[in-house]
Amino acid sequence: MGERIASRPRARTRPGVVRRVCLAGIPLAVASVLSCGSPPADTHQPSARIVSLAPASTELLFALGAGPQVVGRTRWGVDPPEAEAVPSVGDGLEPNVEAVAGRRPDLVVFYQSPANAAAMEQLAQLGIRIVAIRMDRLEDVIDAARELGHATGHAARADSLADGFAAALDSARADSGAGPRRSVLILSWDQPPIIIGGGSFQSQLVDLAGARNVFGELTRPSAQVSIETIAARDPDIVLVIGGGTGTPDWAERPEWKVVRAVRERRFARVEGTAFSHPSFRALDAARLLRRALEAVPQ
Amino acid sequence: MIFEARALSFAYPAIDVPAVQDVSLAIGRGEFVAIVGPNGSGKTTLVRLLLGALAPTAGQARTLGRAARSWSARALAQRVGVVAQREEPVFPLRVRHMVTLGRYPHVGALQSLSSVDEAVVDRALAYADATHLGHRWIATLSGGEWQRVRLARALAQEPEVLVLDEATGGLDVRHEMEVFELVAGLVTDPGLTAVIVTHHVNLAARYADRVVVMDGGRAVAVGLPAQVLTQPLLEQVFAWPVTVRSWRGVPQFLPLKRGESAQHGDGS
Amino acid sequence: MRRWTGLAVLAVAALAIGVLAGPVDLGARDVVSGLMGRGDPVHVVIVRNLRVPRVLLAFAVGGSLAVTGAVLQALVRNPLADPYLLGLSGGAGLGAVLAITLGLAGPWAVPIAAAIGALLAIVTVYRLAVVAGSVLDTRVLLLGGVVVGAFASAVVGAILALSPAESLRNALVWLLGGFDGASWQALGIFLIYAVVPIAVLYRASRPLDLLSLGEEPARFLGADVEPLKRRLYVSASVLTAAAVAVSGIIGFVGLVVPHAIRLVWGHTHRSLLPAAFLLGGALLAGADALARTAFAPLTLPVGVVTAVLGVPVFALLLRRWAT
Repeated sequence: MGERIASRPRARTRPGVVRRVCLAGIPLAVASVLSCGSPPADTHQPSARIVSLAPASTELLFALGAGPQVVGRTRWGVDPPEAEAVPSVGDGLEPNVEAVAGRRPDLVVFYQSPANAAAMEQLAQLGIRIVAIRMDRLEDVIDAARELGHATGHAARADSLADGFAAALDSARADSGAGPRRSVLILSWDQPPIIIGGGSFQSQLVDLAGARNVFGELTRPSAQVSIETIAARDPDIVLVIGGGTGTPDWAERPEWKVVRAVRERRFARVEGTAFSHPSFRALDAARLLRRALEAVPQ
Repeated sequence: MIFEARALSFAYPAIDVPAVQDVSLAIGRGEFVAIVGPNGSGKTTLVRLLLGALAPTAGQARTLGRAARSWSARALAQRVGVVAQREEPVFPLRVRHMVTLGRYPHVGALQSLSSVDEAVVDRALAYADATHLGHRWIATLSGGEWQRVRLARALAQEPEVLVLDEATGGLDVRHEMEVFELVAGLVTDPGLTAVIVTHHVNLAARYADRVVVMDGGRAVAVGLPAQVLTQPLLEQVFAWPVTVRSWRGVPQFLPLKRGESAQHGDGS
Repeated sequence: MRRWTGLAVLAVAALAIGVLAGPVDLGARDVVSGLMGRGDPVHVVIVRNLRVPRVLLAFAVGGSLAVTGAVLQALVRNPLADPYLLGLSGGAGLGAVLAITLGLAGPWAVPIAAAIGALLAIVTVYRLAVVAGSVLDTRVLLLGGVVVGAFASAVVGAILALSPAESLRNALVWLLGGFDGASWQALGIFLIYAVVPIAVLYRASRPLDLLSLGEEPARFLGADVEPLKRRLYVSASVLTAAAVAVSGIIGFVGLVVPHAIRLVWGHTHRSLLPAAFLLGGALLAGADALARTAFAPLTLPVGVVTAVLGVPVFALLLRRWAT
């Protein structure tokens, strides 16, 4: 298990319970009609029909070889390309329970969040197995892979991928260089300024790329700070994640000129889903990032 | 001529029945005129028309020699003090401050109030017997005290003309008489013109030089109290049996109880 | 006289704190040399280009919001009025959220969109409130503002529900208000839009005293009521729209400061308005300093700080008001 700084309790798989219930809500009534008389959720049988309610989980399921079992995904989860063929069930946060149940899943993979507590409860009452996963850091991918591997009948593949990734991660860390690291500001938003802190995997990618997150000491994944703080920390490079090339629009605003890296147009830009959620492609992403950072002159 | 109405008519928008119909009258300088009539007879509307607050739908309203609507609010406020029927203040103020607002028509936008202004305020408070109320919050005043404070404010404007629209409602006998006495005194010296809308026909008869009787938007009678306030007219206008007695040459009317007749009682 | 001195001292203190305090720990000497252009160039730049314009902008916005609040309370004759009841905060929020979720280009896209949204809301509420010719009914103004604001907020809610989580969080944070976008240019632009409305409102001090009595008494005491209401509404709206465009929606200042001033200075607008400007400015400059430093290096949204400060103060004022 990797070092976990921001630890959150994770929901374990919930055993389903068979009930004849009079359910109050209409969606529940509809869903119950659809799955009335369903057998108890069997934790020993691998799941045949999976709905994944987080893009990161969707990608992981396909990586584990469980792609054919995925019958529903969020509207944002289209990695890998094969996932596009899977029908969308809407949002991953506060999902549409009716749409999810309509796919007749026996396993639903949730994004772990209090916002999903109600939906998790509702689906559990229908006898559907629930797994809640949250991947903030790269180490979380290892744990998630093992859990999903077990649940979907791909335990062997999951274990080998997870072990391989863990080893690659360790050696990449060792290789990332003992020499001087360039300081990088990972900027998520400009107005107001929102930066990425040490609690996020994006910060880890910067580490693996041989650089240093200028706000790495913050344990939270993101935070709003003032431009003054950024100017004082004087990052060498500003990393912008997301589409676009060249200098971002907001760099033209006078208050940002106070930051040397903005003034001197020292921007690195990367894009791709490997940068928006942790995955097995993290090391490729780190290599891409390293090249992007090296492209900015010293 | 202070106020003039020539075939003046006004109907509120979307209401068929005109509030004021074809009213003609003239009020001269130094006169004390009372406007009486039942509720809804158009008394307040007539006053608003004469003050230029409403635009007539027909006829003309003239104030101080010009069309009533042609006066700017400020210029008119320097000459005419108005105490309207109702006023509901929202913010707490002290009485003296409230009366000082009467000086605003005479003070420039960024000018300070001078000692002359303060003296006028003192005098106005004294006239209205409200000096002792100076420090009180207006929310703590009784109905009568509130009326007197507003009267003081109108007096602080140092007007040539005073218009009171049912400003003595809620006053006890003494205070109501004091208001009428005060106004009558100001008419005598320094020669204000006073227009009072009132329900108190009897007081109007005794204090006013002339009386205007309104009914259904029309001025059914305009003239000296003795000529105008007759029993047939009063019974018709107020739709209630009355008897009229004379007190020092001025008619005073008594509404009759059910079943009472005018023959009983002393004198006729 | 003592009251004014006290207020002036408070204002100067707030300005000083705003410049001296910040997430980056600079001692007083560093700040002073930074102001004069000497010492560490990073410090110079922080003090001159970030802190000073930011403090001045917060002061100007706070003062403007307080003045607007006082004027609106007299205009609609309601002590609970504040600058945002005109509905334009909803309009500004809608403009800004649209700009963010549509990803509109340009460094000034969000402030401009917010200003346009605010102006559209102003026009809509104005049209709603104009009855029978050109008479501005202030009760309809009040209700119209609430309705337009509520509608805009509902649309914002719908947009945020349908957009990706990322832009949702960012739009919400902007709406909560802040001075991170402050610069000398932003200050200049705000002042260009603020100076004329503030002057108009101050010149209307005496008519405002009269208007608080009610429209008819005001008229008979010499106030030209209809043009006055229009002038007040337009000036208050432009001023608030400029504030929202520059710093998002910052509550409580416009509501609470006028009441606090009235307790000490009374209701004469000739002194109420300037005093409200000073206190509002000091309050917001102080709140911004607190927002920047309380949890350094993290920044709180300023609107949160004014609410936290404002609610207990308002509760105290309510108790005094009731007695």
